[in-house]
Amino acid sequence: MGLKYAYFPGCVAKGSAREVEDAMRSVIEALDIELVEMPGASCCGAGIMNQANHRLQLALNARTFAMAEEAGLDVLTPCATCQGNMYEDLALLLSDEKLRSEINDVLFRTCGMRFEGDLKMRHILQVLVEDVGLEEVTKKVINPVDFSVAGYYGTPMLQEGAVSEDDPHNPKYFSQLITALGGTNVDFEGATKSVGFPSLLGREKTAMRQTGDVLNDAKQEGALVMASACPLSHFNLDTYQVKAGKASGKDVRMPVIHLPELVAYSFGYMADRYAYLKTRAMVVQG
Amino acid sequence: MTVIAKVWIEPDCITCNACEDICPEVFVVGDDTSMIVAEARQDGTLDMNEGKNPLIVAIGTELGELIVEAAEACPVEVIKFEEAGGAEPAAQEVEVVAEVAAEVAPAAVEVSAGVSEAMASLLAQDRSLTILFGSQTGNAAGLAEKTGKLAEKYGLTANVADMDGFDAGAMAASKRLLIITSTWGEGEHPDNAESLWNTVNSGNPGMGSVSYSVCAIGDTSYDEFCKAGLDWDEKLESLSAKRVHDIVLCDVDFDAPWQVWVHDALSKIACVDESGTLLEDLIPEMIDYASDTGEELDDGDFTPGAISKDDIAFTLSLFRYSPETSSQGWDYIACASPEHASVQDLLISIRDDVDSSLAFRQGNSPGSMTTGLKANGHIVLADSVSIGSLVNDGGELKLEPLPGHPVVRDLVVDQSKFQETRTKAKPWLRADPRDGEYLLSGAPIGTMEPAVAASLHARGSTASDLLNQGMSDCLEYDPDYYGPGIVHRLWMRAEDPRVGVKQRKELLKTIQGEGGVWNETDLSAITRHGSDGRLVANEMRSARSTLLTEFKFAGKSGSHIKWFSRTVKWSGTLNETVLAAATLGPVRMLLNAPATIRMALGFTRTGGPLARDLQGWLAPGKMPLIVNKTVDKQYEVKAIYDAMDRRF
Repeated sequence: MGLKYAYFPGCVAKGSAREVEDAMRSVIEALDIELVEMPGASCCGAGIMNQANHRLQLALNARTFAMAEEAGLDVLTPCATCQGNMYEDLALLLSDEKLRSEINDVLFRTCGMRFEGDLKMRHILQVLVEDVGLEEVTKKVINPVDFSVAGYYGTPMLQEGAVSEDDPHNPKYFSQLITALGGTNVDFEGATKSVGFPSLLGREKTAMRQTGDVLNDAKQEGALVMASACPLSHFNLDTYQVKAGKASGKDVRMPVIHLPELVAYSFGYMADRYAYLKTRAMVVQG
Repeated sequence: MTVIAKVWIEPDCITCNACEDICPEVFVVGDDTSMIVAEARQDGTLDMNEGKNPLIVAIGTELGELIVEAAEACPVEVIKFEEAGGAEPAAQEVEVVAEVAAEVAPAAVEVSAGVSEAMASLLAQDRSLTILFGSQTGNAAGLAEKTGKLAEKYGLTANVADMDGFDAGAMAASKRLLIITSTWGEGEHPDNAESLWNTVNSGNPGMGSVSYSVCAIGDTSYDEFCKAGLDWDEKLESLSAKRVHDIVLCDVDFDAPWQVWVHDALSKIACVDESGTLLEDLIPEMIDYASDTGEELDDGDFTPGAISKDDIAFTLSLFRYSPETSSQGWDYIACASPEHASVQDLLISIRDDVDSSLAFRQGNSPGSMTTGLKANGHIVLADSVSIGSLVNDGGELKLEPLPGHPVVRDLVVDQSKFQETRTKAKPWLRADPRDGEYLLSGAPIGTMEPAVAASLHARGSTASDLLNQGMSDCLEYDPDYYGPGIVHRLWMRAEDPRVGVKQRKELLKTIQGEGGVWNETDLSAITRHGSDGRLVANEMRSARSTLLTEFKFAGKSGSHIKWFSRTVKWSGTLNETVLAAATLGPVRMLLNAPATIRMALGFTRTGGPLARDLQGWLAPGKMPLIVNKTVDKQYEVKAIYDAMDRRF
């Protein structure tokens, strides 16, 4: 299809959530997308570092932008936190010429690089809906998603403009994608609510209550499986699911996968894991 | 016309459903018996009403004939009722009372049909109300004027008067008194109020027959916040006047607290009878009476041109909550409305034409903060946002109460917790001696560099702290959290150069402590709420940045940020293992073992490789990626750190 991006998987996809990376490789293979690696790209700061020093985070992200710009490519990421954070920093650097100049000075002194801003940040959800097109996505489906799915976005990505024109308060892209994959989309209040991931280590109790409500909400609305566009929120939703259930006192049991996994499974990849997921969904629902 | 005052069910109901079919607003059939629904009753209880508690007046008036029809249709004749005023229709009797009242009390207003005898009697008495304002810039005068117009809805005849020249004797002779006053300079009374205050303060006239309430307007930027109002409140009490409603202290954003105060104060003071007794039992009926008059405020001479827009059709999803039954749910209503109608216009139409029980706060002038609610995820003022900006033709409009506040009924939220929390957090300025000048009048005035003042103003300028509270996704899960509206205000005070060293320290301690800025679990949830959301989130981030330096990365949140930043410096990428270990410590790591092991081995519960990095853990010299991975040219990352921040 001729689509080509500079690839920014994010720290977690390279670390504790490598299933994201597995699935991404399958998805881009199926859709014939070319990814150019950026092995020197650093962490985006994840909205954590900018609390200590925003200019430092801006400089690190400007360095990554400069790498993509040098390749003449937009940046693709499977992570909602990276997308939201880097979109915000890119917009700020583009709108404030003085700030951009100061950051460029640092960048040039330390790395010999400059950044002009001729690129865009693209989340995999945007790429599938806008660049590839949902009709093309549907054509690639081999194992349709024949169950109900709740799509969870991750709040960092839900900023005005961060996912093109999709409304941050009432986004539609994820539900359209689920439908295109053959699934039954489940609308639920928690799709756009925070699970408190940035404070998971600092305010665990509150974050767990938030997580519990998001999961329970999806379950109440009839979802069998949840798919997350944010690998960081996935920690709360999956790894901490038991704790979330205890903290909220609600039924939260539900398989939670990553968005790229859902797409890869429906494209016919990792059939064993897909079967495992479906079995688990049935068992959990009783 | 038949007006029913009371209806109840006697034993032996056969649950045939006839009554509910005829009049579901009053009757509901349970498993064993029919019952009188809570929403129809003044005591708000759902049962057979064997205690014969009265119906809400409007229900008894509007549905009287249906109640009689239901009673007549009951095959076992267990539905019993009592008409208002005995056998005669209530309206006729009230008219007689009104006529008599007109002879003895010229000030008495027209009495509506359908009110109780006690209410009719109260409304037929002298209904005079004195509203005094002390105003320097016109704000208090404007509120007094609006209060006077609203008072008519409560059957009161208001005399709105400037304190300047008002006689202290006439004040002492008032039966009902509302005072609305601002505070000027350093805790002084406004110029127009000074003379009356001095007279009352020194003369101490007896005020034993006065029932009163005070609305104080001030500015938390000043030391003596709302002092003039507090002076009046204490003085009147000391002179034996009866306080019927507590004083409200309003900041510069005075509209919202005034609106809460004015409705509460008027509904109480309107129930003070000629003898000065507060008839508390009549307050619910008085509120009902005032809401039925349908009068609107005329807020000025502005007459904009007519706008004509096409209707759009949409489905309204309306949140409903009944406190009587503690039940909540959604109403779905097919609507057609002009695009430029406001959400408040829509709610009024629904209340008038579809469901009179719908509860929401109505503003008295455009931009009223009390009309805040959530519309399709956006935090908006219902009286200032057009329907067309929220929903397209054929779409869905979802209306919910303003998040972050307890719901009282339907779309009405309780703002008192916000006010209490605000008071507890003390976001006002208690300045140390600072630069200032004396005006010709001798009044002191503080000074600030214009650029600093402008910047401070811009950083603190949002529609309302009350609305900002609703932007956090975690406030409802954390009872200790002050909320973003209050934290933002505290931070702005800390940034105010007029604050002395001691108070800045106190403010920063408050923001750093439990309830403060670290209680917010996700700033990006706030950022998405338009320009106000971005401003509040950015300022909270700014506050965190300052606190990290001031308190040396103290606490779990500080530690989290420090170690996050450090691991990125060391390798260019986040090291989750080090981050979790350093932030949680060994004990909590152990307690968190299931999650830690899952992270370390790199699998999820959805079929990922069970032990992807097992070989890495076992084979010497081959560390798994989660423990050790470094980006290319990591020295560049380190160089950026060294150039910009050496704390890590």
